[in-house]
Amino acid sequence: MNTLTQDYTSGEFFDELIATGGQPRVAARALFEHLDALDAADLEERRQAVNAAIMTMGITFTVYSEAGNIDRAWPFDIIPRVMSKKEWMRIEAGLKQRLTALNLFINDLYNEQRVVKDGVFPIEVLAGSKNFRAQCQGMTPRFGVWAHVCGTDLVRDGDGTVYVLEDNLRVPSGVSYMLENRELMKRLFPELFHSSSILPVDDYPARLYDTLAALSPRKGTRPVVVVLTPGIFNSAYFEHSYLAQKMGAVLVEGSDLVVRKDDCVYMKTISGLRRVDVIYRRIDDDFLDPEAFRPDSALGVKGLMRAWRAGNVGIANAPGAGVADDKVVYAFIPKVIKYYLDQDPIIPNVPSYLCMYEDEKDYVLANLDKLVVKPANESGGYGMLIGPRATPEERAQFAELIQANPRNYMAQPTLALSTAPTLIDDHLEPRHLDLRPFILQSDQLYCTTGGLTRVAMKAGSLIVNSSQGGGAKDTWIVDVEE
Amino acid sequence: MLSRVAESLYWMARYMERAENTARFINSTTQVLLDLPRGASFGWDTLLKVAGLDALYHKHYVTANEADIMRFMIMDERNPGSILASIHSARENTRTFREVLPMEIWERINDLYLYTRDNAARATHGRSQSYEVLNGIIERRQSVIGLLVGSMSHDLAYQFLQLGRNLERADMTTRIIDVNSAVNLPEDATSDMARERLWMSTLNALSAYQMYRQHVGVHVEGPLVAKYLLTDPHFPRTVTHCLGEIENTLSVLVDYQIPLQAARTAWRRLEGMNFDDVSPAVLHEHLDQIQADLGNLHDAISRKYFSLHQNAAMQEQSQSQ
Repeated sequence: MNTLTQDYTSGEFFDELIATGGQPRVAARALFEHLDALDAADLEERRQAVNAAIMTMGITFTVYSEAGNIDRAWPFDIIPRVMSKKEWMRIEAGLKQRLTALNLFINDLYNEQRVVKDGVFPIEVLAGSKNFRAQCQGMTPRFGVWAHVCGTDLVRDGDGTVYVLEDNLRVPSGVSYMLENRELMKRLFPELFHSSSILPVDDYPARLYDTLAALSPRKGTRPVVVVLTPGIFNSAYFEHSYLAQKMGAVLVEGSDLVVRKDDCVYMKTISGLRRVDVIYRRIDDDFLDPEAFRPDSALGVKGLMRAWRAGNVGIANAPGAGVADDKVVYAFIPKVIKYYLDQDPIIPNVPSYLCMYEDEKDYVLANLDKLVVKPANESGGYGMLIGPRATPEERAQFAELIQANPRNYMAQPTLALSTAPTLIDDHLEPRHLDLRPFILQSDQLYCTTGGLTRVAMKAGSLIVNSSQGGGAKDTWIVDVEE
Repeated sequence: MLSRVAESLYWMARYMERAENTARFINSTTQVLLDLPRGASFGWDTLLKVAGLDALYHKHYVTANEADIMRFMIMDERNPGSILASIHSARENTRTFREVLPMEIWERINDLYLYTRDNAARATHGRSQSYEVLNGIIERRQSVIGLLVGSMSHDLAYQFLQLGRNLERADMTTRIIDVNSAVNLPEDATSDMARERLWMSTLNALSAYQMYRQHVGVHVEGPLVAKYLLTDPHFPRTVTHCLGEIENTLSVLVDYQIPLQAARTAWRRLEGMNFDDVSPAVLHEHLDQIQADLGNLHDAISRKYFSLHQNAAMQEQSQSQ
């Protein structure tokens, strides 16, 4: 009988664990040896153990559906995604480079707009940006940093090149799952963690706390840090609660906070009002402050913008940081990096066509069957067209949408997304995946070791979002001699 | 501690306690009905008043009969005090502060909810099934308490759970004692024995029979039972004991003076009561008074610790200060 990994064929795509020729990549060798020592019963036992652990640890996410909101168990694949430390170091440097430039860019957009004056970034893109907040103009937050927490999605194409697919600068989520995935794997394969050097990930909550605490306007006292959640009906509520717990921060809702005449933020406690120094907000700009943004928002805090502008509270991410989290703005980031840092981007962008330019739009419309088309400001994989998979009707519908609002659309070639072996029933099959590392910036820069690997559990599917049937894997950065 | 979280914890504990005590209340009623002597009658309307549910019940049902009342108290979600609704509320409250509780609590509460949801209908199908299901609920609820006592740090969150639990427990004890007032006994020679049996079922409903026999005596007499269940300082379901626990809890909180005063007022009035005459009219008046004092205590706690979050007007006021 063949072993588990001998039965695996990686298919036509770049495989994260198997090199051309069918041999495991160096970083994955120890894992494969270990897997091959397991028989079907062992494997099934581990899988059941992990499912039980997911229930016990209460790792859930919420799916919105017509039948109401359902708390679903986290879909977790027990075969990790493995990457060598050497490759990771280069990616990490690229991510830090990118966030540094993004923050310089955002600060410039809200102040002198040199980048526009110097002809690097077109004013019409800025004018069309839904996430540019006029209320933030003239503001320079502490350290000039707007996006303190960034989740950048990386994908690997057929030739092995890693690209940045998008930057999430508003309220990126998923880091709690990255941490929980590792906890699960340690329960599952403790031997492997003993024998090979898998780099740890668990310092994230402490580093996040440091990043937030550095924003405190009051020096000398232990800052009061809160996590602001929209509440239990939000799909990421589990994560909000998890991070608050791990950081020893207070989990608050909008109604728990109040801004007083002194333009300071307070939380309502059993012993009266208590000053809040830093807010890690997990609600969108639109809902943050009914006084400044949507007046009908019941989730936010009246006067929060006033308090922030007065320098009396730190907010992460800063209001308006989402201006650079727009799929059209994205296309300009390689130039932005060059402009501010005078460096070439370490990690390239996926080539992109902007429908705002007539010639590029014509190209997109003529090649809808080959391209992936994305709206500028959606997240979670919604509102996208995957050309090769779409019906002619769907393509025609998208063509109309593009014609009606060209600024709102961009397109990219359909990438041959890399795969990794994934446990399906009792054997391994290749499934497409991406990687979302989390990068922090305030007075210092930090990048998670690896990140959250999301995997499309359906054969052939390219959609990795958990809201649409995606799952996750632990991500191992392994220190090996190559 | 956030006011909102403190209030959620307090209410979660109240809902859980109410669910368990409603189960005990129904068990007591069932015992009474089983032991009802020839010629006696049971006033279902009185029972609803004792439970504090008469107005709400008559909104949805016409006549007060056993089947409808059982359904209403066990599983009708239109009654926020029904066992199922209480446990449901407790579970939903728990979701909002999972980060302050030991991890397994959520699972136990979830288990209690699922058991109740799946078995509540069965509990309305006759007295023997009802007894089994209600005891299943009491057992599971006790396992939640056990976990809290055994694995939760005695921090602020714990104190608010304590406050809610003891306040609700004291109130429900007075109502369970009052169940007997729904019984009309005929005036004949057997009624003394019948009365004794009624009080025995009250003791049983509160799991107090054994302790009563040990600490008071073998004779089950109304005045002694009432005095024991209301004022014994050591039995954990008595009003006096619960008030003592509340005082202890308050003393570790901030700004406890006003709620503490309310607790002392309730306690002093209870100490001054005489339970020699436990005829329904007299006893009922005492119990009403105790319930009113507990209501005042709740208001004092709520105003002191939860109002910042409850009161939107307060927010405006604090802004204009």
